[in-house]
Amino acid sequence: MSDLLRAPAEIKYAEELDWLESIDDSPKPFSWRLSPKMVRLFVLGSERADGLDREVAQKWFGDRSFVERSIVTLASDRGLLLIGDPGTGKSWLAELLSAAICRNSTQVVQGTAGTTEDHIKYSWNVSMVIAKGQSRESMIPSPIMTAMESGTIGRFEELTRSTSDVQDALISILSEKYISVPELDGAGGENIVFAKPGFSVIATANSRDRGVNDLSSALKRRFNFVRIPVVTNKKSEAEIVRFRTEELLRRHQIELDVPPTLLDVLLQSFADLRASAAAAGSDDEKLESALSTAEQIGVLEDAILHGNFFGEHALTARTLASSLVGSLARREPEDLAILNKYLHGVVEPRSKEEGGSWPEFLEGGRDAIATLS
Amino acid sequence: MSGGTFEALRGQLHEAATEFADGPGALEGILRGIVDDVERAVREPLEIFPVCHHSPASAIAMARRLREKQPKVVYLELCEDMAPLLTELRNCRLPVAVQAFATEVEGFPADWSPLSVVAPVTEASAEYQAIAYALDTPGVELVLVDRSSDHVFQWETRQESRPTDEPDSGGDGPDAAPAEAESALHGDAVGVEIGDLRPRFAELEEHLLRHGRVRHWSEWWHQYVELPLGDSDHDTYRQVMLLIGSLFRRLAPGDEPRVRIDEDRERYMWTRMREHLAATGTDPADCLYVCGAFHAASRVEEFGVHGSDTFTIGPPSGTRWRHGLIPSSHAAIEAQFGLAAGSVSIAATEWTKNLRRTRVRPYRLAGQAGTKKTTKAARPAPALPAAAAPAADRLTGFLQRPPVLDPLDEAELLGWSVDIVRAARRAGYLASTADAIAVFETSILLAGMRERAKPTPYDFLDAAVTCIEKDRVPGRRDVRRLVEIMMGGDRVGQVGYDALPPLARDVHDRLEPLGLRLQQRGVQRALLDIAAQPALERCSDVLWMLRRLMPEGAARPIMGERRLGERPIQESWDLALGTHQRALIELGYEGVSIEQVLEQRLRRTAYAPQATAATVLEAVEDAVLHLRSRRLADELGTHALDVLARERSVDGAPEVLRRVRRLLAYYRTAEPVLPPWIESFVKTGYAHYCTLLPTAFTDDDATVRQVAAMLGFLFGMEGLALSLGCDRTQLELALAQSHPADPARTALLWAARSHLGTLSRTALRERCDALLANPLVVPAYPRYLSGFVHALEPVPGLADFVVEAVSNAFARLPDPVLLPWLPTLITTLRASGTELAPLLIREAGRVFPARLAELDSWVPPWRLPQETPRVLPEAAGPAAGSALLAARPATCDALADLLGYDGTWATPEPTATGAALLARHPATATALGELLTIG
Repeated sequence: MSDLLRAPAEIKYAEELDWLESIDDSPKPFSWRLSPKMVRLFVLGSERADGLDREVAQKWFGDRSFVERSIVTLASDRGLLLIGDPGTGKSWLAELLSAAICRNSTQVVQGTAGTTEDHIKYSWNVSMVIAKGQSRESMIPSPIMTAMESGTIGRFEELTRSTSDVQDALISILSEKYISVPELDGAGGENIVFAKPGFSVIATANSRDRGVNDLSSALKRRFNFVRIPVVTNKKSEAEIVRFRTEELLRRHQIELDVPPTLLDVLLQSFADLRASAAAAGSDDEKLESALSTAEQIGVLEDAILHGNFFGEHALTARTLASSLVGSLARREPEDLAILNKYLHGVVEPRSKEEGGSWPEFLEGGRDAIATLS
Repeated sequence: MSGGTFEALRGQLHEAATEFADGPGALEGILRGIVDDVERAVREPLEIFPVCHHSPASAIAMARRLREKQPKVVYLELCEDMAPLLTELRNCRLPVAVQAFATEVEGFPADWSPLSVVAPVTEASAEYQAIAYALDTPGVELVLVDRSSDHVFQWETRQESRPTDEPDSGGDGPDAAPAEAESALHGDAVGVEIGDLRPRFAELEEHLLRHGRVRHWSEWWHQYVELPLGDSDHDTYRQVMLLIGSLFRRLAPGDEPRVRIDEDRERYMWTRMREHLAATGTDPADCLYVCGAFHAASRVEEFGVHGSDTFTIGPPSGTRWRHGLIPSSHAAIEAQFGLAAGSVSIAATEWTKNLRRTRVRPYRLAGQAGTKKTTKAARPAPALPAAAAPAADRLTGFLQRPPVLDPLDEAELLGWSVDIVRAARRAGYLASTADAIAVFETSILLAGMRERAKPTPYDFLDAAVTCIEKDRVPGRRDVRRLVEIMMGGDRVGQVGYDALPPLARDVHDRLEPLGLRLQQRGVQRALLDIAAQPALERCSDVLWMLRRLMPEGAARPIMGERRLGERPIQESWDLALGTHQRALIELGYEGVSIEQVLEQRLRRTAYAPQATAATVLEAVEDAVLHLRSRRLADELGTHALDVLARERSVDGAPEVLRRVRRLLAYYRTAEPVLPPWIESFVKTGYAHYCTLLPTAFTDDDATVRQVAAMLGFLFGMEGLALSLGCDRTQLELALAQSHPADPARTALLWAARSHLGTLSRTALRERCDALLANPLVVPAYPRYLSGFVHALEPVPGLADFVVEAVSNAFARLPDPVLLPWLPTLITTLRASGTELAPLLIREAGRVFPARLAELDSWVPPWRLPQETPRVLPEAAGPAAGSALLAARPATCDALADLLGYDGTWATPEPTATGAALLARHPATATALGELLTIG
């Protein structure tokens, strides 16, 4: 496990999943490895009242009903489409759900402008076709087809990045639950790949991409939409950031303390910037960044790595500020101007009033802006 | 705590406490205490009936119990001063709220005014059952025992802060109530409710929600109390409610003031009940005490028929309370009491369903508006023998029972699934039968996951959102809202005509000729052709007063206006009196007619400590305009005089000037003589502003506009003021004493002096030219111009000069000075645009060429050679001309011949023009010579 840079959820939590499976006596739909309740427990963590012998950590932070609705959708006839702003944890939830349901979260098709129908259905191993002709052996099934054959969950990341005609290949997969292979001989049913019970698709779509490649009505009908909102609750956000940061520190084998006051500074500054983005009249007045929780984690990660490798093995407010400016300033005059305004209009009075880490944060931010401009 | 009904339960709880809390201790204390509370309440000879607000289970249990017990007296936890209104409920369409309202506050901080307490009543509530039973059953008395509205605020005074509403739960969560007009129906009143039952401990509530796998409190209640109690017998219902009340009471944080208020209320209620029992001699066994479960589990000394009489009820404050019914709505109740959106509607649906299922006959007030059936109401059912045996322990069984299955049956769920898809399609969603199937299936799966055998309405809501809601909402309503509407939607109550206060009835009567159904909600258009139907003028009067008194939107004129001295011809109005019924009812608390209310309000405004002369004059104008009351106008006008004399600032000068001008114009045309007060006002104003003028010219706080308005008053009213005995010297002295330093004011002073004739136009022009020629003061020139623009108000005759000055500015000012000033000019003109801009534009139109072609040859009038030199040659004219003619006589001779004139040429005398005159008329010179020679 240690030789993987990033282990998928089913490997990372393999032991916990095994244990949950061993104690799960509730009815399981299709070929699911865990019952819906256990899937929920795995994703949202356990409580004392669940009466379990060991604690199950919470892995995804958000409203309970989103998880329940997602699980229920997977147990029904429809595919699940998680939609939301970038960095809201859609893919992470998809990965956790697939890992819990079928212990395989790697059957993923990544939607891009270059995705073709072959990526969704199947393609051919050209050398084998030349050598042996078209047969099931020379066929390369897509991750989705593999999921169909094994009755597991297939994932489609960034569905709306792929073009509409490619997306529509999913329509027949989701309604008829089979893929026909016209190149093969019909004898013996070789030319049709049927989905086994338990097959479903979890797709994710970025709400900022809306209008790029809109889903057809037919495809929309075959998906249940679960909208994941940006986390604005400070408490949950702090938990997410802490959770992901710990994971990160473990991964990099870094021993570094993240002082809670600095975490507060980070959360507060993001909350302020979000409020200013919400009040902005035009795109020029708000940062290009979506200011999601994932970006917060990115800022913190950057600051931690910088502090660890170039600093004094400690995270300081100054490093945090320069990471914040560095990560969020994407457009040269506009974003820098907004950050500058933020530092002088909000951080400066606060550093005078509250003190703490804010003065150092202010100084770091100013330096970073001076370097960039 | 001797052995009794609940001994077995005590034993079990002891064991549980020992097991879970590692030994009996605090937990056992709490658990056993709860059982003690239940037992105490059950043993009480006066039957306590614990309820929870908006709980259909409570309402059903209440209806059942009332039919069974037929009590002779019903004590109800509701403000005692609201009692007389309850019978009016029958004239209303529920939900409505009983309101106590006070505008004249005495004994409370003035900024609390107006004080308002509302107690909403819905049909699906236990209190309505009790009220309907008691009011419509002969021989039954209804006694409200809770503290009066006055005490609500008295007791809050002790906390030194304005009472706030119930804690807001989930206000920012996904279930936050939609911000719609219906949710604001109660205004900013303090809500009181019978049976407020909710954990006081945020952590406890969170814990209950988490373990109940529900999202908000309403759902928890529905799932874990409402449903299991739906079909239970009276004893079970009572004991369980008492248990919950006691639990929330014992697990509450020690919020001292709040606990004290709660306990005082209990003392108050029990004291009142004992007083009533003693006064009437009623047997406690014939009574029923309806109160919130929270108060049923009380531990105060005064509790019970045999409780101690140590509580003294304080006297009410001097505040005068008025009472009425105002419309309410489910959304308003949810918003006020922090319930989840849609929960009251779901409770209403549940109530109807339970009635059908349990066949319980509910009580309904005779003639209740808004219901179809009235025959069933108040028919006393045959009294069933009341259970004589002491209550058995029903709690143990209830607590050990597995969660009760939701009675939502499959057919109902199927019906809902189909209905929501139809509703969604109508709302623009691409929903189909497949979605209905998916919603049905998902509801069942969700319920299974949440450990419920069958889906609840809340599961159904989630399922519908999952299956139908896509990436965007096509219409106005999203799926969540559609489900809420389908479940009964928001219901908005209406107060019937007979239950309205006299003022509201009077308004409706007087608007009768319009032929509109004004009780209905929504906007209605009224067309008043007053020229054709003079009777409608009375309606128009009422509408203008309503516009003045009621909130925006209640009465909005689309066409027509009301000004001093004008008569209406045609008007059209958008009326929404039904929507703003609460505001109209609250007006009714202030008086019996709108004229009276308006008069009171005008007086209040005029006599307010912070009233200025301008506001008082506004009140005078309104009195004339709306009330046509010379008496009131004179009274307020006289007061305006006092206020003006006391004023030391000139802030209101522009407004005073505008209003006095209007009033003067009106009185000059409408009355044979001016009212004495306005004459005095002009006189006093003249002297007043003359006195203040020198200070205002130098005072930094006074703006140029205000000084200009003062001058406007002085110059504009001068004629009248002088005729009344004022002295112009006062004004001249005041101007002479004024030495402004600011350029704008200096310009204003120059203008004033030019008006008075102490500064000629030429001198004024020279001063401006000097300013433009001096590079050191050029940057200040625009500020002088601003002064001149403002001077148009008092000295409109200066318009041509202002045009000249502005033109010069454009012609001669350097760009860095001119351009930054332009916005100032535009804003000045726009701010006082209605008066100044037309004047300036008219004058500019006169001065500047009208066509482009003329522009090249155009010379501004002020650049033309002055007219004075043209006069001089006239004096020497004849001689100069005749010399020429004498030198070239041919033309004249020819003309003379032609005309037949035979004349001769006079010889010119070039040197002695004056001597010739003397020679021709020597008399004067001779006389003078004689005189001199004599001397």
